[in-house]
Amino acid sequence: MTLLARDPRAPFSLTPTLLPFERGKPRLDRALAGAALALALIGAVLVWAATRDIARANGSNPQGYLYRHLVNIVIASALMLGASRLDARLLRLFGPIVYVGSLLGLLAVFVVGTTVNGAHAWIRLGGGVELQPSEFMKLGMIVGMAVLFVQRARARENAGYDDPTPRTSDVLLVLVLVSVPLLLVMVQPDLGSAMVLGFAALGVLVAAGVKARWTAGLLILAVVVAVLAVKGGLLADYQLARFSSFTHPNHDVQGAAYNVTQAHIAIANGGLFGTGLFHGPQTNGGFVPEQQTDFVFSVAGEEFGLLGGTVIIALFAVLCWRGLRIAFAAGRTGRLVAVGVVCWIAFQAFQNIGMNLGLMPVTGLPLPFVSYGGSSMFAQGLAIGLLQAVHRRA
Amino acid sequence: MASRPLRADVSARRLSIVVALVAAMVITLFGRLYYVQLLDPHKPVQTAGSLHDGTIVVPAPRGEIVDARGNVLVGNTSQQVLTVSRDVLQALPDGGTAVLGKLSALLGTTPAQLSKEITPCSPKVPAPCWTGEPYTPVPVATNAPISVVLAVSEHREQFPGVELHTVTLPSYPGGTMAAHVLGYTGSVNATDEKANKALTDSDTVGRTGLEAQYDSVLRGIDGTQVVQLNPQGSVVGQGDDVLPVQGDTLVTSIDANVQRLAEQSLAQQIHDSRAKGMKATSGAVVVLDPQTGRVIAAASYPTYDPQLFVGGISNTAYAALTDPGANDPLLSRAIAGQYAPGSTFKLITSSSLVTHHEISLTGTYPCPGSLSIDGRVKTNFDSESFGSAMSLRQALGYSCDTFFYAPAAREYYTDQAKIALGKKASEYLQQTAAAFGVGRAPQIDLPAGEQASGSFADRETRMARWTANRAQYCADAKHGFPDEPNSAQRAYLTALATENCTDGWRYRAGDNADMAIGQGETTVSPLQLALAYSAMVNGGKMWEPTLGWAVVDGAGKVVRSINPKVHSTVPVSPKLFDYIADSLSFKLGWQVSGAFAYLNSPYRNEIGGKTGTAEVFGHQDTSWLATWGPVSRTPQGDIRARFVVVGMVEQAGTGARAAGPMLKRIWDGLLGAKGSPVIAGSRPATTLPQIAPQVRVATTNGSGGAPLAPREPVGPPEAPTYPPRTGGRR
Repeated sequence: MTLLARDPRAPFSLTPTLLPFERGKPRLDRALAGAALALALIGAVLVWAATRDIARANGSNPQGYLYRHLVNIVIASALMLGASRLDARLLRLFGPIVYVGSLLGLLAVFVVGTTVNGAHAWIRLGGGVELQPSEFMKLGMIVGMAVLFVQRARARENAGYDDPTPRTSDVLLVLVLVSVPLLLVMVQPDLGSAMVLGFAALGVLVAAGVKARWTAGLLILAVVVAVLAVKGGLLADYQLARFSSFTHPNHDVQGAAYNVTQAHIAIANGGLFGTGLFHGPQTNGGFVPEQQTDFVFSVAGEEFGLLGGTVIIALFAVLCWRGLRIAFAAGRTGRLVAVGVVCWIAFQAFQNIGMNLGLMPVTGLPLPFVSYGGSSMFAQGLAIGLLQAVHRRA
Repeated sequence: MASRPLRADVSARRLSIVVALVAAMVITLFGRLYYVQLLDPHKPVQTAGSLHDGTIVVPAPRGEIVDARGNVLVGNTSQQVLTVSRDVLQALPDGGTAVLGKLSALLGTTPAQLSKEITPCSPKVPAPCWTGEPYTPVPVATNAPISVVLAVSEHREQFPGVELHTVTLPSYPGGTMAAHVLGYTGSVNATDEKANKALTDSDTVGRTGLEAQYDSVLRGIDGTQVVQLNPQGSVVGQGDDVLPVQGDTLVTSIDANVQRLAEQSLAQQIHDSRAKGMKATSGAVVVLDPQTGRVIAAASYPTYDPQLFVGGISNTAYAALTDPGANDPLLSRAIAGQYAPGSTFKLITSSSLVTHHEISLTGTYPCPGSLSIDGRVKTNFDSESFGSAMSLRQALGYSCDTFFYAPAAREYYTDQAKIALGKKASEYLQQTAAAFGVGRAPQIDLPAGEQASGSFADRETRMARWTANRAQYCADAKHGFPDEPNSAQRAYLTALATENCTDGWRYRAGDNADMAIGQGETTVSPLQLALAYSAMVNGGKMWEPTLGWAVVDGAGKVVRSINPKVHSTVPVSPKLFDYIADSLSFKLGWQVSGAFAYLNSPYRNEIGGKTGTAEVFGHQDTSWLATWGPVSRTPQGDIRARFVVVGMVEQAGTGARAAGPMLKRIWDGLLGAKGSPVIAGSRPATTLPQIAPQVRVATTNGSGGAPLAPREPVGPPEAPTYPPRTGGRR
C-alpha cells in the first residue's frame, strides 16, 4: 500500500518533485462518474418538466431552466475533472482553503444576506448568480476533518507512537472544526444543511476509528440538543413544521404542509410507469412549489412513476457503492474523505427523497445532482472529483 | 511505515457500519416509494387543474343618519386610497424596484420601507408588513394627496400594479352636532369579528350612540371581488364581482335646527355663566315631543368631534379626550349623566303628597325659613321665610322647600310606625318616583350603557348597601382619609364614614325630606326629567322614548318604523297635573321662579316651567329648568304641551340664573319670538321625510376605478346649512 504523502517529513512542501497533473494514470471510476452524470441528466429533464409551463406562463423562456441546468452540469464536470487530479499534498492545501473560504462565505451571508429580503443563506453575486456557501462548507468540513485526523496521527507515528487511534485531543480539535460551521449554518437557520453536516461528520468520525464512546456520546448529545431545542422553544412551531424551507428566498405562501401534500399527490398518482414526460397534471399546473429544486423528485414520481423513482434511488445506491468501494481501497486521508462524501450525498438524498415521500420533515435541501441549483451542483461535482482523486491514488 | 498502514481490520469494521447505514437508507426509500405509489389504500385526491378563488372584500358604505326633515347628520365621504399589488410588481423584470422607487419618492418614504409594508406578514417577516391576504392589493396611502393621485393616474404606465381606489368613510356635515347621540365609529377589531363572523377588517362598526344601536341596519352588505389564484397564491384571473350594498338610512326624530339651537344656547350659557364667575363645568339640554315620546334634540357640553374616530382615532387625540382635565367630553350628559334634580323634583313630590292625601289642593301649609327634622335644621334657599301659610300652588311657584319637608317627614314617621307594628312601609314618595321613571333606564334606543337610570334612597337599598359596605365604612372611620389633601373634605369624609359605620343602615326622616326636594341621594338624567314632565302634559304617559324614527332602504322604501312605547301610565289624576302645570305657568309672572327670564317674552302665557337649584357638596349649585309649552287644553280641559324642554348647567347657580336664560333662547327659536321659528310651524315633524333612492355605480375593474360612488355629493364640511324646510328632502 502506498501512502498518499510522498514525504511525511515535509507535509507542506510547496515544491513537489513532480507537477501534480503529471502524476498517476488517468484512472477514473467510470461507474461513479456515470451514475453522477446520469442523475444530473435525469435532473435536467425533470427540471425542464417542472419549469417549462410556469416559465411560459410568466412569459420567460420555457427552456431557460433546462439550459442553465445543462450549463451547471458542464461546469460541475470540469470541476470534477480538475478535482480528480489533486494529489495528497494539494488535498492538504485544498482542505483548509475550501474550509476557510466557505466559512468566510457563511459569515458573509450574515452581512450581505441581511440586505436581501428573506434570503439568509444566499449571497447574490449579481447577474442572476447566487451562491450558497453552506454547500461548499460540507466539502470543506469533510476534507478539513480528514486532513486534521491524519496529520495528528502521522505526527504521533513520527514521534514513535504506533497507535493510530485518534486521541481525545484529536477528537476535541475536530469537534471545534465541525462545530463552527455547524453553528453558523444553524443560526442562518438552515437546519437541513446542519443535519447533513452532522451526519457527514459522524461518518468521518466513525471511519477515523474514534472510540465508540465518542460516537455514542455525540449521538446522545445531538438527541439531547434536539429535544431541548424542541421543548425549550428554541424552534418556533413553523420551524418544527418545515425546518428550513425558509432558506429559500421565494415567499412560501401556503406553508410547508401544502408543499408536502402537493408533492405527495403528485407521486401517489404516478403509479407504476407514471403519466409520461410533460404529462403530469400536478407538475404542469405548478401545484408543487419549489418543484425544480427541493421537490424535483415529485416530478419523477408523477411522470415516470415507480420505475423512474426506483432508477433515481438505484443510481444513488450505485454512487454510494462506488464511493464506499473507493473508501475501502483508499489510504487514511482518502478513506476519510471518501466516507465523508458518501455520507453527505447519501444522507442528503435520503433526506430530500424522504421529504418528498412524507418520511422526513421539510428542510430546504436539494436532491444531489438532480435538483436545479448551481452551488450544490458545483460542490457535488468537486466531491465526485475528490472521490476520483482518492481512487486514482489508491 | 508502509508495512504497517492503518489497522485495516478495525477500520474496515468501522466502514461496514457506514455501509449498513447507507444500505438501510436505500432500502427505506425503496419501500416507502413502493408503498406511496402502489400500496397506499388512501391515495390523496388529485387537485391539479383547479384554481382556487380568493376574495377581496369591498367594504359597504355605511347608511346615512338623517334628521326628521331629511338633513344628513352622518353621511359618507369618498377618499382616494393608493394600493400596490405585490403580485404585479414581482412579475416585473426588476421585481418592481423601479415602481417602488418612484412611488416612495411621491409618498415621501423609502423604497425599503414601502417594500416592507407590502410584504405579507409571516413568522419571518416582522412588522411593518401586510396583515391581509397575500393576493389583496395593499393600501399604502389613505387619503392620498391630490398631487400623488394625479401623478399616479396620469402616468399609469409608469406605475404598473399601483391602483387608485375610492373608499367611503363616515362624514359629519354638522361637525360636532349631536355627536353624543350619533356616536362614533371604529375599525373592526378581533372581538367584533368573533362576535359577528360577517365582519371583516375593512369594515367600520358603530361604537357608541345610534351608530352602535343601529349598527346592523347601517352597516350594509360588503361586496366582494373574486380573483382566481394559482397554487402559488398569485392572481391569474378575475372572477365575478359582487357590488357592496350601502347600509339603510336611519331617519331620526332629531331636528337639526333645534339641535343646533340647543347646542349653541348651551355653549353660550356655559360662556355667560363663566363670565359671571361660576365654574359652569358642563350642561345638557333635552327637547322632547311629549305627545309622541320622540327626542327632538339632546345636547351635552362639553362635546367632541366624531370625525376624530373615522379610520381609527390617534392615541394623542384619544388621550386628549379622556384626559381628566377635558371633563369627559365623550359622556352624553343629557341621557347618560345623572344629577340631583333639586326643586324640579317637586313635580313628583307634589304628585305623591296629593295623590296619597298627605296634603290637599285646597289646604294651606306653612313655609318657615327653617325647620328642625330629626334634630337637624333644614332651611329654605337663602333661609327665606314666608310669613303666612301657603297653598301648593304658591309653594311650587316660590319653590318653598320647607313646605314639602314637613309632610315628607310625616310620611316617614307614619312608615316607621307601620314598621313598628310589623307592617311594610308604604314609602309613597319612592313609589311615585319609580312611577315617574326614576331608578330605571328610560329604554331609549341607545346602548344600555349610555342611558342613566337615576336613583333615590329607600329603606331597603340603604340596608343592603350598608350590609355590603359596612366593613369599609368602619375601616375608613378608623383610619380617616390620610390621602385626601383638603382638611375640610377629610373631616367631612371621616365624619360620614363614622356615621355610616354605625348607622349607615338607618333611613331617616331627613332623608325623606331631602328626597322631597330632589336632594340627598336623588338623581335623574335630564332625559328622565323631561320624560317625567312629559307625563304631566300628555295625560300621564311614561314613554320609552326614541331617537330613531324609521329605517329606509336603498330604494327609498321605509322598511321599519320605530315608535316609542308607552311604558306605563303615572297614577296621578289629570286634575292634579293640570293644577301643577297651571301653578307653574309663566303667565303668573314673578310668582313663578322660572318665569323671571321670560317676563317680557311674547309667548310667556303659553309656557310654564319649574326651576331647580341642586346643592352638591363641594361644588357650586346645579342649575335646572324644566319647561313645557305651548300649552293647549283637551276638550276635557286637561293640559297638553307640544314640547318639553329641560336644561341643566352644572355649577352655574340657581335655576333662574343659568338654565332660565339658556332655555329662553331655545323657546325663542322654537316659537319664533325673533324671526321665523327654527322648526316649521313651531311643531315637531309628523311625517317622515322622503329619502331619495341610493345610486349604485358599477365597479370598474382593475385599473383603479371607484368601487363605489358616494350616494350623493357631500358638501365641504365647513358649509353645513340647514335652512328650515317645510317638506321632505327632494
